[in-house]
Amino acid sequence: MIWLTWRQFRAQAITAAAVLVVFAVLLAVTGPHLASLYAASGIAGCHGSSCGQLASSFVGRLQAAGPYPALDVLSIAVIILTPAMIGVFWGAPLIARELETGTFRLAWTQSVSRARWLAVKLGLVGLAAMALTEGLSLMQAWWAAPLGRAVGYGAGGSLLAAGRFAPAVFASHGITPLGYAAFAFVLGAATGVLIRHAIPAMAVTLAIFAVVQIAVPLWIRPHLIPADHVVAPLSLVQTSLVGVTSPDNLSFPADGLLSEPGAWILSSGPVTSAGQPVITPPAACGVGRGVNLDLLAGCLARQGVRESISYQPVSRFWALQWVETAIYLILALALAWYCFWRVDRRLA
Amino acid sequence: MTVLETRGLGKRYRRLWALSDCTLSVPAGHVVGLVGPNGAGKTTLLSLAVGLLAPTTGTIEVLGGRPAERLPRVGYLAQDAPVYAGLSLADHLAFGARLNPGWDAALASDRIERLDLDPAQKAGTLSGGQRAQLALTLAVAKRPELLLLDEPVASLDPLARREFLQDLMEAVAEQELSVVLSSHLVADLERVCDYLILLVGSRVRLAGPVDELLATHHLLTGPRRDPDTLPKALEVITASHTNRQTTLLVRTSSPVLDPAWSVSEVGLEDLVLAYLSQVTGRGRRRLEVQK
Repeated sequence: MIWLTWRQFRAQAITAAAVLVVFAVLLAVTGPHLASLYAASGIAGCHGSSCGQLASSFVGRLQAAGPYPALDVLSIAVIILTPAMIGVFWGAPLIARELETGTFRLAWTQSVSRARWLAVKLGLVGLAAMALTEGLSLMQAWWAAPLGRAVGYGAGGSLLAAGRFAPAVFASHGITPLGYAAFAFVLGAATGVLIRHAIPAMAVTLAIFAVVQIAVPLWIRPHLIPADHVVAPLSLVQTSLVGVTSPDNLSFPADGLLSEPGAWILSSGPVTSAGQPVITPPAACGVGRGVNLDLLAGCLARQGVRESISYQPVSRFWALQWVETAIYLILALALAWYCFWRVDRRLA
Repeated sequence: MTVLETRGLGKRYRRLWALSDCTLSVPAGHVVGLVGPNGAGKTTLLSLAVGLLAPTTGTIEVLGGRPAERLPRVGYLAQDAPVYAGLSLADHLAFGARLNPGWDAALASDRIERLDLDPAQKAGTLSGGQRAQLALTLAVAKRPELLLLDEPVASLDPLARREFLQDLMEAVAEQELSVVLSSHLVADLERVCDYLILLVGSRVRLAGPVDELLATHHLLTGPRRDPDTLPKALEVITASHTNRQTTLLVRTSSPVLDPAWSVSEVGLEDLVLAYLSQVTGRGRRRLEVQK
């Protein structure tokens, strides 16, 4: 069975190996130079407030010239697209093609049981899918380590230096790529079992996986672990008050109000001392166009207006990674069970 | 020992019964012809016998056990002889060797050589006949005790048909295996099978050794007569009449002694056609025209 799985999977395995090699070469060639730029930036030996400035100027210089922004975006895109491609090109045809061409009648009437046939196929190709995606992710993590450290010193905000909770970064680092790869692959296989035709199964797999990958960061990931809440006085960080852009639209940059940087802000907004959300400035602070924003902010602070923030602290990065990966792996197991049930009992 | 035993076996697809109330007991050592018109349930019966389908009703035993458990001892050639288009012939032999503990590698490579096929050739480029031969090689080299062949010659031209059957009979003689092969044409099987199962409209109409079937069926010709007045021992399968003459195909275990009838033997093909025409009125008329 191992031989058969390898023989039928050979072409896809060679494609995957080619992707892995090109990816590795690209990052291996540019990675050391990026690391040397970081070393030359002096961030490593910085003290106090100079760190933030050094990190920002380091990222700024990378942003201004050189291949690094493009490489960063490209490599992250490859990691995010790989599970989808695995689902479409490895998972969906795995069983659907056998059903479509009738070769299942050959494969399932040898001396090997159907359950074993499926277990070896799902197991080996599934492991290859997880290894490929996580391999790409680890390489990117090594390459982007200087950027990650710069972000840690507060050089956030740009695409190149997106925080760890930015959807693309969260989805391409840590252990989540393992979960996505396993889920996408088994999703493809199960769709193939259900639809029994490879091309429609490929299209449906892509559609379902895309919807899941958009829905999870938007609606599910923020609530995997109950968020922390804090109500911070506006006076805590004076510079944050600059964020008041218009008297009709009160909003403050919330991350500046938290004690540790890098948190994932889920929602934030000004509230009164009684806890009621402030939609328009209190009458006492004067309403109307031409109000001096700095004066307005000071007035708000005196009125007891504070900022309510709901967030996931940066220390939860790994906890959220584990929970999300576990959910994807459980979904993959459930879909695998469905494949076994259909192949072993229902199909012919 | 029986190679195939079914009791009240039935298979329903949604609301349509593909096979119903099928009770059979096929002894070992025969080449069994499974005959019936298209859609009679032949493929369903064979699929049930290799566990590709599960019965809706009744039971099926192959070589004395559940079909899925007996797969190592059963060779199966599915309808249209599916093979992996992208794999070479050598790959297919490796496939057989890796998936079957009893694989006879020498037998398999001998057959490929004798068929004058290039092992490096991709199976997708084979002709219909060559593909059937490759699939038969996979089934035979498994060294099965029972070989189940679903319409193995349907896609072959007459010459390839003859060669395929000849080849099959050689394999049968060498390996002492039991064979069940299906076809919707009796003529294909007449030369090779010594046991017949006739499926019509999802039901078994006739089953038994060919010589026994031929010995108990007679074609009677005589003066015109109502078939209802015949003795009970004669089971009338078909009757046709002209103004003065009646022709009957009857089944009886005792000899027909009535001197009014001239008794003649019936061939296997005519026998099968008679049973087929018995089912539909239209078929009966067609048979009358032929006589």
